[in-house]
Amino acid sequence: MKKTFKKGGIHPAANKIADAGIRVLPLPSRVVLPLAQHIGAPARPVVAKGDTVSRGQLVAEGGSFVSAGIHTPVSGTVASIGELVMASGVPGQAIVINTTHESLELDEKERGEYWTRMETQQADRTLSDRFTAEELRSRISAAGIVGLGGATFPAHVKLSLRPDVKAEVLVINGCECEPYLMCDDALMRAYPGQIAEGIELMLKAAGIPRAVIGIEDNKPEAIAALRAALEDTPFNITVEVLRTKYPQGGEKQLVEAITGRRIPSGALPVSVGAVVQNVATAFAVYQAVAFDMPLIERVITLTGDIPESERANYRVAVGTPMSELPLTVPDDAKVILGGPMMGRPALCLEAPVVKGTSGLTVLADSRRRPVQPCVRCGACVDACPMGLEPYLLARYGELRMWAEAAASDVADCLECGACSYSCPSSRPLLDFIRLGRLRARDFAK
Amino acid sequence: MPLIFSPSPHIHTSRTTSGAMYHVIVALIPAILCSLYYFGLPALEVLLLSVLSCAGVEWVVTRFMLRRPSTLRDGSAILTGVLLALNLPSGLPWWMVIIGAVVAVGIAKMAFGGLGCNVFNPALVGRVFLLISFPVAMTAWPLPDPGFGDADGVTGATILGQLKMGLVSPDELPLMSMFAGNVGGSMGEVSAAALLLGFVYLLAFRVIKWYIPVAVAAGVIVVDLAAGFPPLVDLLSGGLILGAVFMATDYVTSPMTRRGMLLYGFMIGVITVVIRRWGIYPEGMSFAILIMNGFTPLINRYMRPERFSPRRKEAVKA
Repeated sequence: MKKTFKKGGIHPAANKIADAGIRVLPLPSRVVLPLAQHIGAPARPVVAKGDTVSRGQLVAEGGSFVSAGIHTPVSGTVASIGELVMASGVPGQAIVINTTHESLELDEKERGEYWTRMETQQADRTLSDRFTAEELRSRISAAGIVGLGGATFPAHVKLSLRPDVKAEVLVINGCECEPYLMCDDALMRAYPGQIAEGIELMLKAAGIPRAVIGIEDNKPEAIAALRAALEDTPFNITVEVLRTKYPQGGEKQLVEAITGRRIPSGALPVSVGAVVQNVATAFAVYQAVAFDMPLIERVITLTGDIPESERANYRVAVGTPMSELPLTVPDDAKVILGGPMMGRPALCLEAPVVKGTSGLTVLADSRRRPVQPCVRCGACVDACPMGLEPYLLARYGELRMWAEAAASDVADCLECGACSYSCPSSRPLLDFIRLGRLRARDFAK
Repeated sequence: MPLIFSPSPHIHTSRTTSGAMYHVIVALIPAILCSLYYFGLPALEVLLLSVLSCAGVEWVVTRFMLRRPSTLRDGSAILTGVLLALNLPSGLPWWMVIIGAVVAVGIAKMAFGGLGCNVFNPALVGRVFLLISFPVAMTAWPLPDPGFGDADGVTGATILGQLKMGLVSPDELPLMSMFAGNVGGSMGEVSAAALLLGFVYLLAFRVIKWYIPVAVAAGVIVVDLAAGFPPLVDLLSGGLILGAVFMATDYVTSPMTRRGMLLYGFMIGVITVVIRRWGIYPEGMSFAILIMNGFTPLINRYMRPERFSPRRKEAVKA
């Protein structure tokens, strides 16, 4: 029996309809680099308007320990540093860099050479021996790496464990349980060796004895590729095939599926001896350590109701305006930053692809159905992976009963959306639960 | 290029509440056909009248009293009509059927706020109202006359009625006939086989879970064994299967969690047998379900799902 998390969960149609290969998108002539692309303090610019910058250069440094630096993927001139509208429609600080035709050509040449070199590099099992754990962590921090599964938590922070905390297992998230998205699958198929080495480096950096890669059983190619790549690893790294069920990739669900331990309410995975990182993060760590390459590119999936020729995974520079992506959006559609279960809707397509963008899902017909009365069928209670009562929490939110929502553990909600998805009366359960989550913080026990 | 903007999740199950109602109606088709086979035209008249008057009452209430758009299309009023009919003896006077429909939909459902707001199962409230108001008519059970024929108007006591009056002993009952439905009773309670077919259908389409019906059976068996009565007689007679599968599992009036459903079902089984053995009524299923309907909010309050996360004893930080 394949492992999975024990409570709740749903089986939405996978719709992994994009081409599994990775296409390369040219560098844009202008990049927009928001300063807050991660959880934690925004980055602080270290360049000024008019400065000349070169590809890979640090343009903003981490604002505190829980923060991440930002590097430019193109050479050029800093055109402006100021407020711009981000994809969600909310303004944010960003650095804009303009390029010239000549510098772009040189950058593209350098970029092509780098990827050829990196892709053809022989596996080097002694790579981690050449660095101390501290050196590894500072390299990861210097590369501006954040959790690429979507949470964008700075990677070096999770790998810097306090001396009195013991982690037993590094859980690598290769579930990609969101429908439509395929970027992690594509990475695991294309770069299994590099991901394996990235995991080895993270084990060394954090001083964790073993790693388990969790992958859902609907990705047989990725499973086979990673198993082959791990054959001669001197580290204790295994692949755990998990049942396909949403939200398998939720941090708490994944740790339970793999270790059998449940993370207490409000606690971090390390409280049960686990550290969780995404496969794409492992790939970025490998590039940062082996090639000193900062996080300036990532793979995203463009999918959904767009022409079939456009549905694929693309390697793009972070900061590429979304309007430059090969994306034919039909009228009256919804563009989702990420997958359809947890992704945020986009309002402004002039905004850039950021470190946390795992893909864009376009849904042509995503208007909500008319709401019917709650008949207390219990579908939401069955679906909730956290063992909550979504119908009750949503009602508390509707009635502004924040203290009651807090007492019914609304803070445990991970906003996976399984309740709203499963409601046969199409009730907007998560909308009201979110409201309760925000307001219930005032009543935290 | 206007974009649609609304928070996640952006996809949705294809299941709908009205879909569930129609599934239940489909699941009742074998039982309906059985009752038409055994009770003939009078059964059809009661069925049509009950469905039409339940739908009519809901339409009148939404149109003229609540002044809201009609809710007929959600299927719940039609389902209530079917269930009410199956709880009545065929050949009941037409005006009694209409009174039952007014009480069921008008009072038990719409007066509480409509679908989802009622505390008690509407069809059962209608039936119990009629049973208390018109005890003679409501216990004049036509004897089955197989072959879709016109019933000959011969009535008699149900098996449970005969048991209550001491006319038969539980050991000499025709269990096979009871299973097939060739015994007297209300329209929907006659054929255990047809009802179980509907149960299988509901399970297969995942409209209901097995918890409540199985727990009802468990409650019946436990009390029967303790009292030294053959459980199969109780399980196959009266409205037990109809109630356990189609009435006790009503989403609105039953608990939300598995533990809650198991307790609720078990208690329905227990109360049913207690009424049948030691109460004044020969049949206790309707009362048992209504009593437990009343406990449902309490059960929801105290039998909550187990949380995924253990409560944090002390702050754990990396």
